[in-house]
Order: sequence, then C-alpha cells, then structure tokens
Amino acid sequence: MAQGYSVFVGLVIVAAMCVGAWFLSPKGENQTTWRSSLIIAFISCYLMWFVTFMAQLHPLIEPRRSNVREGFQHE
Amino acid sequence: MAPAKQSMFRSADMSMVQLYISNEIGRECVNALGELGLVQFRDLNGGVSAFQRTFTQEIRRLDNVERQLRYFHAQMEKANVPLRKLDLDVETLAPPTTTEIDELAERSQSLEQRIFQLNDSYETLKKREVELTEWRWVLREAGGFFDRAHGNVDEIRASTEDDDAPLLQDVEQHHQGAEVERSFSSINIGFVAGVINRDRVAAFERILWRTLRGNLYMNQSEIPEPLIDPSNNEAINKNVFVIFAHGKEILAKIRRISESMGADIYSVDENTDLRRDQMHEVNARLNDVQNVLHNTQQTLTAELTQIGQSLAAWMVLITKEKAAYQTLNLFSFDKQRRTLIAEGWCPTNDLPRIRTTLQDVTNRAGLSVSSIINEIRTNKTPPTYLKTNKFTEAFQTIINAYGTATYQEVNPALPAIVTFPFLFAVMFGDFGHAVIMLSAALAMIYWEKPLKKVTFELFAMIYYGRYIALVMAVFSLFTGLIYNDAFSKSLTLFDSAWEWDVPEGWKQGEPLTAKLKGDGRYPFGLDWMWHGAENDLLFTNSYKMKMSIILGWAHMTYSLCLSYFNARHFKKPIDIWGNFVPGMIFFQAIFGYLVICIVYKWSIDWTTADTQPPGLLNMLIYMFLQPMTLDIPLYRGQKTVQILLLLIAFVQVPILLFLKPFYLRWEHNRARAKGYRGIGERARVSALEDDEDADGHGNGNGNGNGLGRHSIDTDDDGEGVAMLAGHGGADDDDEEHEEFEFSEVMIHQVIHTIEFCLNCVSHTASYLRLWALSLAHQQLSVVLWDMTLGPSLTRPGVVGVIAIVVMFWLWFFLSCAILIAMEGCSAMLHSLRLQWVEAQSKYAEFAGHMFTPFSFVTMLEEDDGLAEFRG
Repeated sequence: MAQGYSVFVGLVIVAAMCVGAWFLSPKGENQTTWRSSLIIAFISCYLMWFVTFMAQLHPLIEPRRSNVREGFQHE
Repeated sequence: MAPAKQSMFRSADMSMVQLYISNEIGRECVNALGELGLVQFRDLNGGVSAFQRTFTQEIRRLDNVERQLRYFHAQMEKANVPLRKLDLDVETLAPPTTTEIDELAERSQSLEQRIFQLNDSYETLKKREVELTEWRWVLREAGGFFDRAHGNVDEIRASTEDDDAPLLQDVEQHHQGAEVERSFSSINIGFVAGVINRDRVAAFERILWRTLRGNLYMNQSEIPEPLIDPSNNEAINKNVFVIFAHGKEILAKIRRISESMGADIYSVDENTDLRRDQMHEVNARLNDVQNVLHNTQQTLTAELTQIGQSLAAWMVLITKEKAAYQTLNLFSFDKQRRTLIAEGWCPTNDLPRIRTTLQDVTNRAGLSVSSIINEIRTNKTPPTYLKTNKFTEAFQTIINAYGTATYQEVNPALPAIVTFPFLFAVMFGDFGHAVIMLSAALAMIYWEKPLKKVTFELFAMIYYGRYIALVMAVFSLFTGLIYNDAFSKSLTLFDSAWEWDVPEGWKQGEPLTAKLKGDGRYPFGLDWMWHGAENDLLFTNSYKMKMSIILGWAHMTYSLCLSYFNARHFKKPIDIWGNFVPGMIFFQAIFGYLVICIVYKWSIDWTTADTQPPGLLNMLIYMFLQPMTLDIPLYRGQKTVQILLLLIAFVQVPILLFLKPFYLRWEHNRARAKGYRGIGERARVSALEDDEDADGHGNGNGNGNGLGRHSIDTDDDGEGVAMLAGHGGADDDDEEHEEFEFSEVMIHQVIHTIEFCLNCVSHTASYLRLWALSLAHQQLSVVLWDMTLGPSLTRPGVVGVIAIVVMFWLWFFLSCAILIAMEGCSAMLHSLRLQWVEAQSKYAEFAGHMFTPFSFVTMLEEDDGLAEFRG
C-alpha cells in the first residue's frame, strides 16, 4: 500500500534510472539514440504511473456495484 | 556535440567534394564508389543532352545486352525453365573487368543468335506439324465422307445439276450398273477439301452460298481435338470441310474464297488407294517432324537451362555496369588532360574511407598518378543524410514519409522511437493483447533472416515495422498493467485500497458502495475494485481525459524545446527570442497552468476541505470568458493569478508577431549599410568564375539573412571554390540566398503566430484522442468477452464444454482480428498523427532534400526490373 509521498519516491527512482541511462548507455555511434530513448521512455512511464496514482489519491467517487455475490462482499 | 561525432540527433555533416580521376580508371573508381555507396554525384553536364555524353556508346551496348538477357528470360518463362535466383545477401559478385563485360556481351550475342535460330526452326517445324496434322484430319474426314458419298451420287448430282438434270439423267443411268467404282470426275464434279476455323464456318458457308448461288454441296465435320497455333500458342477449334461443285471456274472461285477466309486447303485424292498412300505418307512425315521437333525442343531447353544458371548474375553485372557508365556520364571529361572531374556530396566523416578506396583502385591499376579528392566550399544546401540501423530504420521511414528534415535540424525520428509507440500504447493498453503482439514481434525478429524473403506485400510491411511493433508491444504491456486490463479482465496483483461497505442485513442483489480502507492507495495502476463497478466509466473517463491532457502537454512542451536546439544550432538567436520564448510562455501560461491545476486538484483531499471541488474545464473556459468572476475557487488568490497569466499570455502575441520581422529588417538594413562600403572586398577569386555567378553571390552576401547559413567566407584557404556545374547550367539545387523582402517575412510571421496560438488550443484538444481510443478499445474488448466467452463459462454439462471450446476460438480470433489488428491499426494511425502534426509542427521545418548516394546495394534492391532475378 502506497502513501501519498510515493510519487516522490518514484520520482527519485526514475531520476536515478535516467542518470544511469545517461552514463551506462553503450558507447559508439548509437549512444545518443540509447540515451534519448531510455530517458524518454522512463519519463513517459513515470508520468503515466504518476497520473494514475494521483487520480486515485483523493478520489471524489467510490466504486459502486449491485451484482456482488454473497460471500464475496468482504474481499 | 562535437563536430566529429555523428549521431541520430542531427543529419550527418556533409561535404562537397571534387574528384579528379584519371580517365583509364574512371570505370573502376566509380565501381568502387558504388560498392561503398557514400557519394551522391552531381550532374556536371546538365546542358548536354543524353545522346551527346561521353559514354553513351557503352550504355547503348549494355542496353542491348540487357535486352538480350531479358529475351532469354522471356524464352525461359515460355519454356518453363526454372531460373536460379541470386541471393544478394549471400552471394557477392566481384566487380568485373572490362574484358569480362566484353566477353559477356559477345557470349550473349552468340547465345541470342543460337536461341533465335532454335526458336525459328522450332516454330517452322511446329507449323509444319500443324499442317500435317490438319492434312491428316482432312484425309480422314473427307475420306470417310467420300466412302459414304459413293452410295448416293445421284443425290449429289441432283442437287448440283438441278437445271439440266432431266436431260442427262438417262445418259447417266446407263453407266450406273456398269461402274461400281464411279468417279466424281465422270459426272464433272470437282471438289475442294480443307480446314477452317470453327468460328468462321457459318460466314464461310453463307458467302459460298451467295456467290455460287447455291451451286455447291458442302460437307463438314468438326475436328474433335483443338489445334495449336504455333505463332501464339493458342488452341483453336477447326472444322474439316469438303465442297463439291461443278466447273473449273467455280472451283477456282471456291478456292479463292476459302483462302480469303483463312482456310487451309489440302489436296485429297478421291481414289481410296491413293488416299491410303497419302495417309501413310502424311503419317510418316508427321512422325519425322515430331522427332525433329522433340530434339529441337530438348536442345533449346538444355541451352536455356544452362543460361538460367547464371542469368541472374549476368543481369546484376550488366545493371551495375550500366549504372556505373550512367554515373560516369555525370562527370565532366577534360579531353586535354585526359581526366574525369566529378563533383558530389559525401558525409564528412567518411571522407577518409573514400580517399582510401580511390587510393586502392589506383594502386591496383598500377597507375603513377593518383586520384585527387578535394573538399570544396559551397553555398548550396547539403542533402540530409540520416544514417540508420535495422532498429531505427523503420522509425526513420515513418518520419521521412512526412517529409525530409532540413539539413542538420533535430531529427524527429529520435524522440519518435519512444513517443510514437508510447502514445500508441496509451490507446492500445491491454496486457493480454500486448502479449500476443509482443510474441508476434519477437517471432518476426527471431526468424528475421528466413522471413525477409517473404514477398507477400502486407506481411512485408508488417515485417518492415517489426521493431516498431516490438517497442509498441513492450509499452502496451506497461499501459495494460497501468489500466489493469488483460483481455478486459483485471489483475489483482496487489490488495485493493477499497473494501465494500456492507450494511447490516445486506442481501445479494442490493447495491454496495466501497469505502477506502485507510491511507494506503493501490500502488501500481488502476485499482481493480473499479473493474466491473457501475460507475467505473465515470471514474476512468475523468482519469483518462486528464491523463491525455497531461501527456499531450508534456509531449508538446518537449517538442517545443527542440525548436530551441534548432535555433541554437543554426545560430539564429532571433528564433529563440522571437519564437521559442514567447511561444513557450504563451503555451505554459494557459496549458501549463491547466496541468498544474489538474495535479493540484488531485492532491487535495476534498472530503475534508471546506470548499467544493471545482470543474477544471469550466475553470479554464471562464478564465477567458469572464476573468473577473470566479464561481468556485480552487485555491486562494486564484483570480489574481489567472488574470496575471492571461495578461502574460496575451502580451506574447505582439512579441511573436513583430519581434522577428522587425529584427530581421533592422539587421538587413545594417548589413546593407555596411555592404555598400565593403562591396569591393566581396568578390571571390576563382579561376572558373564568370560574371553571372558573381552576380548571384553578390546578392547573397548583400542580405543579412545569411545568419547561420553557410555563407562563403571571403578568405578561403586555397581550396577551389569553383562550381563546375554553374557553367553547365545544371544547377538543380536551389540558390540559397534570396532578396530580403519585409512584407514577405511579416506575412510569414503573422501566419506562424496565428497558427501557433490556435494550434496550442486545437492540438491540446487533439490529444483527447488518447482517451477516446483507449476507452473504445477497452469497451470493445468488454463487449467481445460478454458476447462470446463470458456467457459460455456459466453453462453446465456437455453443452458447456462444447460452448467453451467453440466460443474460446471465436473469442480468440475476433480478439486478434478486431482488437489487435484493426484497433491496433487505428491506434497506430492516431499516434502517427500526433507525432506528425502535434509534435513535429512545433520544431521541424522539413525543407531538406534526401541524400541519395550512388550505391549498388540500394540500386539493386530497388530496381523493379531485377525483382524476378533476386532470390
């Protein structure tokens, strides 16, 4: 279970991954391609996770359903 | 960004080079450069027509050889002889010497003659065979008819000699008993026998009837087997006919008519014995002809089979040789010094390789004079050369499909490697579908080599984009997990943050509402408790819509930043201050603010707050419409902040509009003022320069628009500046500098400003397609599940088992066809649009022209004429 501060933990992890990607990308003529692709990928994925997490942090509505079967209501 | 290091970020540095090659090794040099594939030659003989060029003779000769080779191929197809195809990836052909080419030309010449002769005799023989066959049929059919006819001569005579029959009847009857074997000649009746096309029989009959006024007796029968016309190998049905008529003239007339109708007339003897002899003779001759035919056919096939072994290789050699001479024709030939002069673009980093290649050729030829390669300065725009590998190739192709990036501007394909598949995945997000797609992509990559040979077009296209599919699938796995969707079902990887709030005495069927367990939230992706909830869509729509806006904002901000790198690289500070900075402020003041509001609203716990949560969409709309009033505040001091932001945004519009054009005018005027003083110093010194050329450059240096462009320095360090092409008038590259015109610049800037400001709004809205498409995908997969596999799972008994099996396959195939193939296609197109329009319009200019080096490899790959020879 994650708390609200998790987004910052995630940010630090992703930032570290980006730094890692910058320095650990294989040398050679494709280095720029590696760096750019990895960093954009990390940031995009973080952004999506961040948005999903934030949207559920303080929800304005609750899930509601009337087809819950007997015995499953405490799951 | 050291100049020596090349990357995908920008197109490669290009140099204009001049080559001086000794005439003797011109062909070898071009061959070597063609194998290298790094030089794009310019046409230095633009004014010379194709027929007057130096190597036209050689090209003609090679054209002839190529025609002969194609003739062999056509013959092989006709004779069903298999062709050994050439796999260019495996087999490499050593560059041929001139003598080898000569030998090949001679050989194909003699082979052509031989095949031509064989074909000729084959056709003659075949014709003979058909004639003999027809004759045999005539003999057989007509003979049968004669045998039948002898029994009823009277009838015939009665019909042909209707008018004088009564007079002669008695005379004839005298002979009747005496002669058993009566001859038709005795009753003065002649006949014509032959073969005619079955379609023409009716017309033939009618014409004969009319011209002879019915004075004939015609008998015909169909030849049961179709006869083959040797000239075009078509099967024709024919009829045998025998016409009896009276009188020489009439018979002659019948013959003429038959010939004019395309019938073949054969001589048939009415005597049975003679006819039998004839039959024997025909059969014997037919046998002979067939034997000879068989032999000829065999020889021809043997010859063609032998040619088929090496035809593909010859074809490749000739195509290469022809391309080499065509390239040589672009060179300027100095008759006095016996040298060829070539000009072309090549990547600056590859200059040493080109140099060593040329040196190798010179050494091998044993020439004392080495080829000279000179880097020259030019004011022409170099071509855009974007080096790719097998991973980046497909990404680069989808960018190039939109346009060719300007020389050295930021290559849009670099960010597209991630953003394009990622935006696809946002729309396609389903873990299950992603797994199928990933397996397909991995399979295509694992069996890369064997699958390369598949020529089925649709598959070839998917195969070409296999690495895009791979990245797409990987991101789809991620987004599928974020959306918590696998084939429309959810994964319960973690404990939910919700639990059902069960009231006392709850019975099944009554609605339940969930409540939060505590502070903890679902750590990764969407909580699975939302899945199947009645208000699921209410929540996910709001979430996905906001996510689309945030992703769009991030994508566009990033793209806008790339325009800063472009301006800095081209050393145009005015583009930074006049376009990038005000544009960025305008965009962030409106949409950056919106994104901050979205995130801020999420971070507030509205259940404990004093105020109601405001609707962000209305907030943004009313920020423009009535900035002075605020219905529901989001935070304190919101009104002031919004008014301030609005003011900042609107102040950017005049800056965007006027700063750049007025700065350019000021700079132009200043340069001109300086230019008047410095006019004498501007002339460039060059041996080959003429007045016209100097004029053109005079204009160029006179305007101040040459900022960052490669304008020519007056102090050139001994390198030739001569553009030979300038003299030939073959200037296909557009002149770089044009007259500065303020009104044009102003109009351009007005359009840019309007476009930019409106696009900020419309492009942001355009990103909502991410929400729409992902909603559609998710809902479709829910519907598919509910209509096929879902209900069958609840059936008991044998029917249930059968239903599950049937429904599973139905569900699986529909999933693959509709949800993966069709939906994937549509998500890809939408993502492509976001990449092409929303992102690239922020920074890319697309005014370049592609680097098309002279390369044998690409030439052989792209030549359609060679398609049937490639393995």
